[in-house]
Amino acid sequence: MKFSTARRQFLRSATACIALPFLDSLGFRRFASAAPATPRPKRLVFLGFGWGVTRETWFPSLQQIGADYELPPGLAPLARHKGDFTVVQGCSNKFSNEAHWGSTFWLTGANRYAEPGRSFCNSISADQVAALHLGRETRFTSLQLGTPDAGNQGHGPGLSLAWDERGKPLAGYDNPVLAFHKLFGADDVPLAQSQMLLSEKRSVFDALTQDFARVKRGLSRDDTDKLEEYAQSIRDLEVRLSKDESWLGVPKAKPSFAEPKQGLGGREEIQAMYQLMVAAMQTDTTRVLTYRQPVDSLLKSIDVPYTGHDLSHYERTQWDRMQFSEKKDVAQSALLAGFIDKLKAAKEADGSSVFDHSVLVFGSNISSVHFLNNCPTIVAGGGAGLKLGQHLALPKDTPLCNVWLTLLRGMGIDVERHGDSTGVVKELMG
Amino acid sequence: MLSLLFASIFVCLTSVVAFASDVSPARLDEAHRVFLKEHCVECHNADKQKGKLRLDDLSFALDTVERADRWQKILNQINSGEMPPEEAKQPEGKAKTDFLEALSAVLVSARRSLGDSGGKVVVRRLNRREYKNTIRDLLGVEIDVHGLPADGAAGAFDTVGASLFMSSDQVEQYLALGRRALDDAFARHAAEGKQFKIRHELEKIAESQLSGSVKFLTRKVEPYNQWTSAVDAACRNAENKDKADALRTSDEVVKEPQRFYRHWSEFKGAPAPTAFGFKDAGEAESLKHQFDEETGNAEKYFQLPHVDTGSYLFVFIVRPQESIVVPKDWPPGQYTLRVRIAAVEGTPAERHFIEVGHPTQPGAFDIISTHQITGLIENPQIVEVPVTLTSTGSRTFAIREKRLNSREHEVALAVLYQKKHKTWYPPAMWIDWMEFEGPQVDGHHTAGSGRLFSAKSEAVSDSNHARLVIEDFASRAFRDAAPDAAFIDGLVRLFERRRSRGETYESAIKETLSAVLAAPGFLYLREPNESGKERRLSDLEMATRLSYFLWSAPPDEDLLKAARTGALRSREELEFQLRRMIADSKANEFVSGFVNQWLGLERLDFFRFNARLFPEFDDSAKMAARQEVYETFGHLLRGNGSLTRMLKSDQVVINGLLANLYGIGGVTGDVFRPVFVPPDSPRGGLLGMSAIMAMGSNGERTSPVERGAWVLRKLLHEPPPPAPPNIPQLSRLAEKNLSPRERVLAHQEEPQCRQCHRKIDPIGFGLENFNTIGQWRTTELYAKADGARKDWPIVASGALHHGPAFNDFFELRDIVASRSASFARGFSEALFEYATGRAVSFVDESLINSIVEEAAQKDFAVPAFIQALVCSQAFQHK
Repeated sequence: MKFSTARRQFLRSATACIALPFLDSLGFRRFASAAPATPRPKRLVFLGFGWGVTRETWFPSLQQIGADYELPPGLAPLARHKGDFTVVQGCSNKFSNEAHWGSTFWLTGANRYAEPGRSFCNSISADQVAALHLGRETRFTSLQLGTPDAGNQGHGPGLSLAWDERGKPLAGYDNPVLAFHKLFGADDVPLAQSQMLLSEKRSVFDALTQDFARVKRGLSRDDTDKLEEYAQSIRDLEVRLSKDESWLGVPKAKPSFAEPKQGLGGREEIQAMYQLMVAAMQTDTTRVLTYRQPVDSLLKSIDVPYTGHDLSHYERTQWDRMQFSEKKDVAQSALLAGFIDKLKAAKEADGSSVFDHSVLVFGSNISSVHFLNNCPTIVAGGGAGLKLGQHLALPKDTPLCNVWLTLLRGMGIDVERHGDSTGVVKELMG
Repeated sequence: MLSLLFASIFVCLTSVVAFASDVSPARLDEAHRVFLKEHCVECHNADKQKGKLRLDDLSFALDTVERADRWQKILNQINSGEMPPEEAKQPEGKAKTDFLEALSAVLVSARRSLGDSGGKVVVRRLNRREYKNTIRDLLGVEIDVHGLPADGAAGAFDTVGASLFMSSDQVEQYLALGRRALDDAFARHAAEGKQFKIRHELEKIAESQLSGSVKFLTRKVEPYNQWTSAVDAACRNAENKDKADALRTSDEVVKEPQRFYRHWSEFKGAPAPTAFGFKDAGEAESLKHQFDEETGNAEKYFQLPHVDTGSYLFVFIVRPQESIVVPKDWPPGQYTLRVRIAAVEGTPAERHFIEVGHPTQPGAFDIISTHQITGLIENPQIVEVPVTLTSTGSRTFAIREKRLNSREHEVALAVLYQKKHKTWYPPAMWIDWMEFEGPQVDGHHTAGSGRLFSAKSEAVSDSNHARLVIEDFASRAFRDAAPDAAFIDGLVRLFERRRSRGETYESAIKETLSAVLAAPGFLYLREPNESGKERRLSDLEMATRLSYFLWSAPPDEDLLKAARTGALRSREELEFQLRRMIADSKANEFVSGFVNQWLGLERLDFFRFNARLFPEFDDSAKMAARQEVYETFGHLLRGNGSLTRMLKSDQVVINGLLANLYGIGGVTGDVFRPVFVPPDSPRGGLLGMSAIMAMGSNGERTSPVERGAWVLRKLLHEPPPPAPPNIPQLSRLAEKNLSPRERVLAHQEEPQCRQCHRKIDPIGFGLENFNTIGQWRTTELYAKADGARKDWPIVASGALHHGPAFNDFFELRDIVASRSASFARGFSEALFEYATGRAVSFVDESLINSIVEEAAQKDFAVPAFIQALVCSQAFQHK
């Protein structure tokens, strides 16, 4: 009982920590339209495509460095945005050794064996570092999007691209309809009832914590450490609940388009998700977004008769796989170009575009075939003051986390390091 | 930062254990210091620490993570050829290979010994399979758990507690899934005693569908007939006649008479198709085409024999599948799908298989099971399939002829046949009727539900009744452990709040109980041990460990009784329980769960098999191939057979489908059974199994490297190190016309590759007589990108590295079979890891030795391993 009271007090204070700046800013936002020249919120977006790219035709030639480079065929659809993104070569996550895991460590740079006794561990992902700072003022601290069965499509273990402070996977929405309802669906439950439901939820968590105290009794230290994951999960849920509570009664933003169709797949699925992401940014519903993209259904939708894994084993010698692999790259680049179009067209109150205040990353931990060095990386958007419009070839095996660190600092987030970073990428800084 | 701190604490613990156990840790032989001296120390010494690295004082004992890590880096540098630098003296090939080989081997054992929890079993939550089974045993319902994270994906067995995580999202999923399970259980209870049945008499359904479609098309084709008659009339006019006659005898029209009307505009006075409602002549023509084909098919269908009593199962045309849609209000549970069916005489035997499943997209099927049809129309057979109806899954149950799972394939099959043979692809099976019935009355369900559905008596208040229900449910969910009163109080209050805001009793109790199913007492297998000193498991804990080991499910009433009375402590009772549990069908969960992970069968799903090259390896065949591995192991487990028979055996355990794939005669039906094979058969033992050989391929070509590495890892217990990442592709070979063997041998050109490949490749070559799907072959076709093809004869002879030579697959198999002690050792380690939920470490050497020895005395009988393990100190202690 004593334990419970102490915990509740701790949570109250934790809630207060979270709620105060938020309430403050909510008030701030209400008057925002009257106040001129307020800084526009910054957003961070990571788009992961799992299996890698066709090395021969995706990476620009290393002979052409800087602004004056030729777009290779795999990136050709991005030509109209060439001045607004930078292709970064030479980076990798040095601990990564799983050739089927394109997303698990992509944003974390973690060593899966860092904790003896575990065959797997992870650490916080770059998007969640940003969410700790950018996520306080929005209804959704961060938004994770994905696709069904992502783990088998070159993304690897995990529930999304995001991993929390303790290296635990964060879940996301695997389908556009569900995501639409979460983000924009009308809440027709009366306020009093919503409050009651939330308070009942809290009682459920109380009961679970009660049983936790019993189960923990008499366990060895190792076991207690392990079980702590459960207690932490409950604490996380309670923190989330507090945030939900503080947003009760604030109506959700209205997007300018209707609910996506049920059962979308492949190219249409990606387009629908991109549309949702633009709307979520424009309405300031969230500022940190990640998306684990479908591969197998994309291939199906562009008439490629292979699955992503089969295709990633392309070799010159093997019939038509390489050609199809290029076709996939082109389709992904075209979708990305469309997404950038939308972000540029989405205007802020001051006439600038959402794109101007965002940072966009497109890539994977898998480079090509099953190689893990030279991770394909494209950064775009004006949110971090990066030097765009260039082809950057960094020294071989530069930590990919150096790029993430550069983005985070560029967005004004004060972090000393991230993952296995050794410093910022000066060449990327504007 | 915190995790780093933990890491160093753990490292200290591990090294303490290492020294205390008095078994030497992984250590590189001192003899190899010469190599370092010659090639590394010149730059990496006390004075000249190039790259801040000293190698002159490096310990050869890999007893900490840091040291092992440093050695790993050395290995990587030499492997990639970056060290020694180009300008320095290069090591001679053999010296380099030997050094790398020794270092790789030490790193493999170092990883093993450093990567465990110092011999401790960590508290573990139920993994996804166990969670599903535990819900099933508790509530009698099957739920779909695909939304939960797939455990074991990170390389360890899915029973290893240290690698099973928990997150806030997962707790929410448990709450939602628990609620769904309770919904299903209540729905089922409400329907108790009710029986439902649907029966389709197919002759009626087929008749009404086909004649209906003829009627519909006849009406629809009427404007076409009017239009063509009008064109014909215009053509009879003198001004058109000659031209029309010429056209009628032209090649084009003789071949396809309908094409005549494409030329309508060339005839004066002929009306346009648009006047009859068609977009153009093409649309009119394709309607006519459809009409001809479908009415033609229908006419032909009605001329078939036995359509007055049943119907035929076609591919793509007419009736390509038969299905039953289960009404929404039928409760979830176990049902029976029955079909009275026969094979059509004169059609090929390999077509006499049906698939039962849920249709997903046109041509695609989620297969539940596959059945061979042997009855003929005079004497049809009844196929009876147990199926599960869930509240969230598909309610359409269908059957179709077994085939590749794609629309493209069935179109190709039906259309190509039609073109070639000028007639339809003939149906190979005939169906009398199909029915769906249930739910089955399940004794367990009612016996096991405790007070869950007990009626409230007048004298008891609503919340007191709820308290009884909650208490009873929680202690069953917690596997006989008593929940705290405060927990129950909290739940009762929750129940009361829900009631007071107007929820029904049922809704309030379900929502409340779902919290029990997300509580740690349900989700974790608890074995308290405050002192940290080893102690004997309590009887209840022992029962729980046993049942999660052999059933992946909670103990049943029998086992609980043996635990409660203390009987389980006697060796006799323990052995009795073991026999009983192994004989129970619930042990199938152990067979598939363990074997799948032990042998790495998940690789079978990594590739899609090329349908053009291997049309016979459809999903049903793949499922059967995987099942063969399980059934073979299960046969040894339940029949007290020797583990060595997994290496070589005069028997295979197969069913009709696999007999077809293997070309073994005289086996029909769906049941897997032992079948003797002649001494000169390549079948008998894992190496002769389709699933094992198919895993060693990329879906198109065989991979001698994958196969060789698998044999080393799983059969010979000499695991090669994982392939180093970022090895350049051998693409310079792309344009050369080399034999597949020469291609693989290119791996051995570089010393850093040779150290492993000289062990792997010979074994892989010895298996080359098996094609991509494990069928026997004597030549291999290899096509280059430019289309040049060549048939290469298979050469399977070779020699193990530092080992005996073999002339062919059969001799290789004998060599592998002669190493049964190594196989038994690898098996024991895997079994240990799966059963206890922790990795084998060097502190377990003696235990593993004793398991192998005990089993050896019983001719390596599979149950003997399990018995030795279960009776061991490590299994019975925490």
